[in-house]
Amino acid sequence: MAILRYILYLLAAVLLTGCYEDFDPEIDTKPVLCLNSLITAGEPIDVKVSHTWMFNDEKSVNDHKVSDASVTILANEKIVGNDYLPKEGDKIRIMAESPTYGEAVAEVVVPYATPIGKVRFTPVVTNIWKGDEDFFHYRMLADITFNLNIEMDVNDPAGTNNYYQFEYDWFSGAWCEDSDDNLEASRLDPFTIGTFEYDAEPIFKEHVGVFETVMGNGEDTDFVFFSDRQFPGRTYTLHLNFTNNTFNIKNETYDESLLECGVTLYLTTVSESYYNWAVYKWNVDEGITGDLSDIGLAESKWGYSNVSTGAGVVAAQASTKYIVDLKEFLKNAIK
Amino acid sequence: MKRLVLISLMMCICTVVMAQNVTIRAVNQPAALVFRSIVEQTGKNFVYSSDLLTGMYVNLNVKNKPLRQVLSIMFKDSGIEWKINGKNIILKKRQTSERPRRADNTAKIPDATINTTRPTTRMLEEVVVVSRLEAPAVETSEIGAKKLTAKEIINTPVMFGESDVIKALHMQPGISEGQEGLAGMNVHGGNADENLYMLDNVPLYQVNHFAGLFSAFNAEAIRYIDFFKSSIPAKYDGRLSSYLDVRTKSGSPEGHHGSAKLGLTSGSFNIDGPIGRRTSYSVALRRSWFDVLSIPMLAIANSSSDDDKIRFRYAFMDINAKVTYRFSNNATVFASVYFGNDVLKTGSSDKEQPQNGWYDDDKDDFYWGNLVAQTGLNYRINPEMSAEFTAAYTRYFSGMTHDWLLREINDGNTVDSHSITKTRNNINDWIFRADFDWRPGENNRIRFGGGYTLHSFLPARADRSYTVGTTKTFTRDSTWTYTANEANAYIEDDWRISDRFRANAGLHLSLFNIDGKTNYGIAPRLSVSYRPDENWAVKAAYARTNQYVHQLSQTYLSLPTDQWVPITGKFKPQNADKASLGVYWQSDNRMFAASAEGYYKIMRNIVDYRDEYYLQPPTEMWNAQLCSGKGTAKGIDFKIEKLYGKITGHIAYSLAWSDRTFPDKNDGLTFPARFDNRHTVNILLNWNISQKVNLNAAWTGHSGNRFTLMTQVWNSPDFGNSYTGDESPLKTRINNYQLPFYHRLDLSCTVRNRRGYWTFSVFNAYCHMNTVAIRRAYTNSNRPVFQKVKLLPIIPSISYTWQF
Repeated sequence: MAILRYILYLLAAVLLTGCYEDFDPEIDTKPVLCLNSLITAGEPIDVKVSHTWMFNDEKSVNDHKVSDASVTILANEKIVGNDYLPKEGDKIRIMAESPTYGEAVAEVVVPYATPIGKVRFTPVVTNIWKGDEDFFHYRMLADITFNLNIEMDVNDPAGTNNYYQFEYDWFSGAWCEDSDDNLEASRLDPFTIGTFEYDAEPIFKEHVGVFETVMGNGEDTDFVFFSDRQFPGRTYTLHLNFTNNTFNIKNETYDESLLECGVTLYLTTVSESYYNWAVYKWNVDEGITGDLSDIGLAESKWGYSNVSTGAGVVAAQASTKYIVDLKEFLKNAIK
Repeated sequence: MKRLVLISLMMCICTVVMAQNVTIRAVNQPAALVFRSIVEQTGKNFVYSSDLLTGMYVNLNVKNKPLRQVLSIMFKDSGIEWKINGKNIILKKRQTSERPRRADNTAKIPDATINTTRPTTRMLEEVVVVSRLEAPAVETSEIGAKKLTAKEIINTPVMFGESDVIKALHMQPGISEGQEGLAGMNVHGGNADENLYMLDNVPLYQVNHFAGLFSAFNAEAIRYIDFFKSSIPAKYDGRLSSYLDVRTKSGSPEGHHGSAKLGLTSGSFNIDGPIGRRTSYSVALRRSWFDVLSIPMLAIANSSSDDDKIRFRYAFMDINAKVTYRFSNNATVFASVYFGNDVLKTGSSDKEQPQNGWYDDDKDDFYWGNLVAQTGLNYRINPEMSAEFTAAYTRYFSGMTHDWLLREINDGNTVDSHSITKTRNNINDWIFRADFDWRPGENNRIRFGGGYTLHSFLPARADRSYTVGTTKTFTRDSTWTYTANEANAYIEDDWRISDRFRANAGLHLSLFNIDGKTNYGIAPRLSVSYRPDENWAVKAAYARTNQYVHQLSQTYLSLPTDQWVPITGKFKPQNADKASLGVYWQSDNRMFAASAEGYYKIMRNIVDYRDEYYLQPPTEMWNAQLCSGKGTAKGIDFKIEKLYGKITGHIAYSLAWSDRTFPDKNDGLTFPARFDNRHTVNILLNWNISQKVNLNAAWTGHSGNRFTLMTQVWNSPDFGNSYTGDESPLKTRINNYQLPFYHRLDLSCTVRNRRGYWTFSVFNAYCHMNTVAIRRAYTNSNRPVFQKVKLLPIIPSISYTWQF
C-alpha cells in the first residue's frame, strides 16, 4: 500500500517537480506551559512540566525545562501531595504556574477499570515435531507451531463513554527464573508469540475512514485503541488471533513447570484524552492526511491537547488483565 | 437548398420596444451580436439558417436610423436578403447572388461592412449561439454574468495545453483558482462545493479528472458556457455561489466535420454532421494516454527488478454524444449522453520466494466518474411562447477496492492472510423539468418553469473482509442510501420599464424532502439597471440562494473519496444573501468595455469539518465530524476589456475579503477563509497576428492563500507505547498566515496550417514556483527549519489538432 503514498505525492507534486526553500516566518508568538502526565490508578502522579518553543529556534530545541514553575494537584477538588495514590473515579486537576510562561490547567477523571469478561481460546497446531523419548537423552523435545484464537468479552459499563486500549504479553513459565542453576538459561524462551493479526478485529480500525483505509498504511499499523461507541453498555467480543506461535522445548528431564506458558491480555480503560492523543498520533504518523498537509494539500493538524494552553496531554488509565494458560494445551501437544 | 434551422434569438435575449429606429456602432463585431442589439432596440426576431452567419462580422455605424434603412445598409452586397414579417426579420441567402466574399474581399461601403470569413477553425462556428448573455453588459440587467465561447476557452493558456472551462473562468475577476494547478473554483469567497456545474442544464457532481488537474468538460464538445455569480436567474438554485451551464454542440446540418487532437496528456476525436434531412449528430471523445506511457516503462522497471513488481495504470476518458431531430420549425428533440470516467490501478507484488513460499500481493483499484443521459424537447407553442421539456438521469459514482494477500508456507502448510476493503459511493438523480419562455408584450419577457428531482445518495459505504487461515471476519459500515425528493418552481420577468430602466425580478421556490423532513427554500431575485447614457449603465442586484447538498473532502485534491451528502440531522439548508452594485461602460464603437462590480454576501449554515474532526470515528454519522456556521464575503471587481480587433483581452482586478465563523472551529472566533485573496490581478491577452498565428498570454497574480502555520511546538508525552515521541505543533488560529504573493504567466501559440493547427503552450513561463504551503522539517544537519513548499515549475506542452 505504500506505493499509494508515492502516487499521491506524484499527483500532488506534479511529476516530482516540487521543491523546498528554508525561511523564517516572522510571526510573533510566545511560549506557553506544557503539561504531560499519565495517571494510573494506584500509582503516584508524575507530571512533566515544560514549555513550548519556536520550532526553528535551535537554542530551545533541547531545553524545555521550566525552573520557576509551581505545580498543584487536586484530587476531587482537594489539594493532595506527591504521595497521593489516585483511585478509580478520582477527578484529578493539575495546575501549574510560572512567572515566565504563565499558567496551565488540565483535568482528567481516572477511569474505572473494566473487568474482562469471558475469555475463550482455541489453539490450533499447524506444525509439530517431537523427538523420541531417548533422543539425545532429552525427555522433553518438541517444536510446535500453532495458531491461537482468543475471544475476549469486553463488558462495557453503561452510562459513560469508555475508551480502551488492548495490550498483550506472553511468558514462558519457569524457564528463565532459575537461571543460576540452569545452564540452558541463556537459550531463548521456549514459547514465543507469533504475529498478532491486527486485521482480524475490525474495532481496532474504527478510527480509520474510507480515505485512510484505501490510501493509508492500514496493514502496517498496530493501533489497539477503541471506544464503546458501537457497543455502549453492552458486551463486545474482541477477536484476537495470534498466528505462527512457537513452542520449542529441549530438556533432559520432564518438567511440567516448563509448560507454564501463556499470554497475558490487558484491557486498559483509558481517559478520553489518552484515546484522542493516540488517534491524533495515528493520523499524523500513519494517516495519509498527515502527509498531504505537509505539502499543503490538506488542512494542518495541531497536536491534540486537553491542557488549557493547548500544549500537553494529561491522561489517566486503569487496567485489568487475564491470563490465557497454555499449559494444558502444550502438555497434550507434546505427549 | 440547404435546409433551414430556425434560430430564435428571442429565446435568449431580452425584451422589445416600440421604437423602430436603431443606433448601432460595431467594429468587426460578430453578426449575431449586432442582431442582438437590434432585437434589443426593436423587439424584432431574427430568423435565419444557422449556416448563414458562419464567420460573419459586421462594421456598422448608424445613429437613430429606421430599421429598414439599417438593414439595407448592413446587408448591402452581403449576399443576404432580408424581409420583415410581423415581429420577425427573416434572412436568407440571395438566390442570384454570389457566395459571400472572403475576408480578403471585404465589402467596403461608407457606413457598413459585412465581413464574411469562412472559419479557418471550427471554433468560429460558435458565433451563432443561444445564450442569454449575448448582449453587451451595458444592455442587460445582469451583474457578474459571463458568457464564454468555446473559442475563448480554447484560447486561454492552461497547463499541459488541456483547454479547461474552469481554468478559463479563473481569469475572470472574483474567482479564485484555489489550489494551484487544479480545477477548483471559489467564487466571491465561497467554498468549492458551492458552484453548480450543469451540462446542458443537468447537474454534474464530479467535474474533475486526475485529482483536479483536468476538468471533466471536453472543450472540443462545448458550444458556450453561461456563468452567473452575482445576479442569479430565477431558473437556477441549489448552490450558494455560482452557476455554470455548459452547453454542448449540436451537429452541423451542412456536412460532416470533425477534428482529432493529440496532446502530451490526452487525445480527442470529434465529429458531427447530418443524418438525413432532419437529424444531426455530434460526438466528442477524449482519452488520456498516461497509461500508454506507463505500461512499457513499468514493464522495463519490473523486468529489471528481482523483488517488487509495481502495478500502475491511470486513464481518464469522457464522451459526449448528442443527436438532434427536427420535427418542424417549431419542435426539436434531442437526446444526449455524457460519460466521464477515471480509472486508477496501483499496487505491488513480490515474487514468490522459493525458500519459504512467502508471497505478497497488494492491489488497489479506483474508479470514479459521471453519467448523464438526457432527452429534451424544444417546442414553440406559439410565436409568443416556447417551451423546453427535459428528462434526465445523472449518476455520480466512485469506488475503491484494496485487495491485499500475504501468503506464507510453513512446513508445507499454506497460510493466506487476505484482506479486502471495498467502498462504494454514488448519487443517482432522476430529473424532470419544464421551462417556458413567454413574451406577453413587447416590454416583458417572462420565464417560468418547474422541476422534480428524485435523489438517491449512497455516501461512502465500506465493506471489509479479512481472512487468515480459516478465520474470516466481515464488516460493513452502517451507511445506508438516502432518498430525497426535490421540487422547485420559478418565475422571472425581464421588464423593460423604459429606454433607461430595466428590471429582472424573479422568485425560485424549492423544497427538499429527506428523512421525513421537508426543507423549504424561498429565493427572491432582483436586478435593475439604469442607463443614463447609451454607453453607461448602473445596476443593482439582490439574490438569495439555497443549497441542500454539500461535499465532504478531507483534502484539497479532487479524489474519489470526496462525498456529496445531503443536509440531514441537525443541519439546516445552507443559504446566502448577496447584494451587488455595478457600473458599466462601453466605448462608442463597443470595442472597449469596463465595469466595476461590488458585492456583499452573507452565507448561513455553511458546513465544514470541525476542529479535530478526525477524533470522531468514521463509524459515526458524517455529521459528527462537521459543524455549521456562517461566512461573509465582500469586495469589488474591476475589469477593462478590449473586445474586438487583432488584440483582445482584459485586465481584471479584485479587492476582496472573505471570512468564516463556526462555533466549533477556531474557538468560535472569526477567521479568514483559505482563499481570502485580498488583491487579485488577471491579465488575458489574445493577439491574432495573422490568420495563421495566434498568441495568447495569461498572467495572474494574487495575494497568497491563507494557511494555518503553527510555529510553536511542545514535547509530546511519553506514555510508554508507540504513540509517543517527537514534538507536536501548538494549536493556533486557523489561517493565521498569508502565503507569499502568487504570480504566474502562461503562454500559448496557435499556428495553423492547411489541415489543422499546432498549439504550443507554456505553463508558468518564467518559472516562478509559487509557495503552496509551509512545512516543518529538519535539514541534513538536523537543524529545524520552516520550509516553503513549492510545486509547479515551467511546464511546456504541445498538441496538434487535425481538422476535416
